[in-house]
Amino acid sequence: MTAASDRARVGRLLAWYPPGWRARYGEEFAELLLDELGERPWTWRRTADVAACGLRARLAGAGLAGHPIDPAAAARAALATIACSAAAFGLTGAAMWSQLAIGLQWSVPRASGLTQALDLMTAAMAILVTAAVLAAVPLAWSAVATAVRGQGRPLLRPALLTGASALFLIVGGRHFQNGWPGTGGHLLAHQGLVPGGVAAFFWATTMWVTSYWAHPAMLAAFPAARLAWMALSPAAAMALVTGAATLMRRAEISPRALRYERLVANLAGAGMAVFAAGALCWLLSAGPGTRTLFRAGAIDRAGLAVLALAGLASLAAARHARPRPTPSGSATPAGPASAPKAVA
Amino acid sequence: MTRSPHPAGADAAGALETLGRSSGPASLILSSLADGPKHGYALTKDIESFAGVRLAPGTLYEALSRLEAQGMIEALESRDRRRPYQLTATGAAALSTYLQAQRKVADVGLDRLAVNWTLA
Repeated sequence: MTAASDRARVGRLLAWYPPGWRARYGEEFAELLLDELGERPWTWRRTADVAACGLRARLAGAGLAGHPIDPAAAARAALATIACSAAAFGLTGAAMWSQLAIGLQWSVPRASGLTQALDLMTAAMAILVTAAVLAAVPLAWSAVATAVRGQGRPLLRPALLTGASALFLIVGGRHFQNGWPGTGGHLLAHQGLVPGGVAAFFWATTMWVTSYWAHPAMLAAFPAARLAWMALSPAAAMALVTGAATLMRRAEISPRALRYERLVANLAGAGMAVFAAGALCWLLSAGPGTRTLFRAGAIDRAGLAVLALAGLASLAAARHARPRPTPSGSATPAGPASAPKAVA
Repeated sequence: MTRSPHPAGADAAGALETLGRSSGPASLILSSLADGPKHGYALTKDIESFAGVRLAPGTLYEALSRLEAQGMIEALESRDRRRPYQLTATGAAALSTYLQAQRKVADVGLDRLAVNWTLA
């Protein structure tokens, strides 16, 4: 086997690891792999071991597993992962919740469980929105402080991405909120806790979470502007979440602010748990004979699976959101033969 | 008053246990480094010679990075792109306490075997 092909194999093995890990250990690890390849050219155990450890290093870098290279960076990454999970949960939940909230303004559900389910989901949405605002305040403060110190260049692009996508979603959501069948009415507005405009805004913002994608003929009948909105709004939502998560990873957040963000993450976790309870309550109440507006369809069951996955990812990240302390010990290397060995 | 989360002594051994699935490789690596600084391949060969275990490269570096993050080993200047690692005082203390605990278990087991079993 040639040295060039060995180098190529080592390069492929190294690709399992995240860039930060490769920057720190890549060169020396490559030398070890070359020595190993020289002694044992082919063994699937080595490939499996490197792949598994590389994936664990990637999870650690995302704050989803323990023992990363930089514990403080991993704590910030864990918080960013929680923010992404909460955003995925919030978007899916908002699609589900706004559909029910609008339905309740147009129709009276037969089962009282549906109203209680919506009350739970409404409370949870309020908690999640509050948590998002509370989490954004110190982050924005840190970003501004960093920029004032003249070190804001790495934050510029994520800040612009976050701001532009948030503006796009707000303006688009406002524009389309009453331009869709069923979102403009307030016939039975007394039936629900939620003001029609709020429900319609969230409905329009998450319009892309729909089973219409599976029915192209029906989709083709939509006006071009709405189709464009349905295609662009998920991209804007993703850009918003990516920008915010990147800001969270790059901003110099003080330990005190990190502790505060962990508290907010706990609040978001509570919101997710309440929402999941409400969604479960809805599923149990929406049995046969339920009006179409309140029926749980395939898209809602898929939504529940997304909620469960996002909740689990958030729980996993929460375990690693606290920087791990490093131990200190006392021992000295053995000196000359006459010196006592001192290992405390 | 400032409190260290891991004061020296008893907690240092506990720190080795906190490495979870890496505590086995970690004790082997620390035992190897107790002899002096070594790079990755030298560690692999040394551990194979005294323990009969060949640590796979990913497992070795996973444990090395954790030990480094815990302050039990430290990296030295790289030579020919191979970076040697050496034991720190924290690592020596942790290894000593860990091995003493292991020796106690081994002594008890051997004593009981000697009393109750005749081994060929």
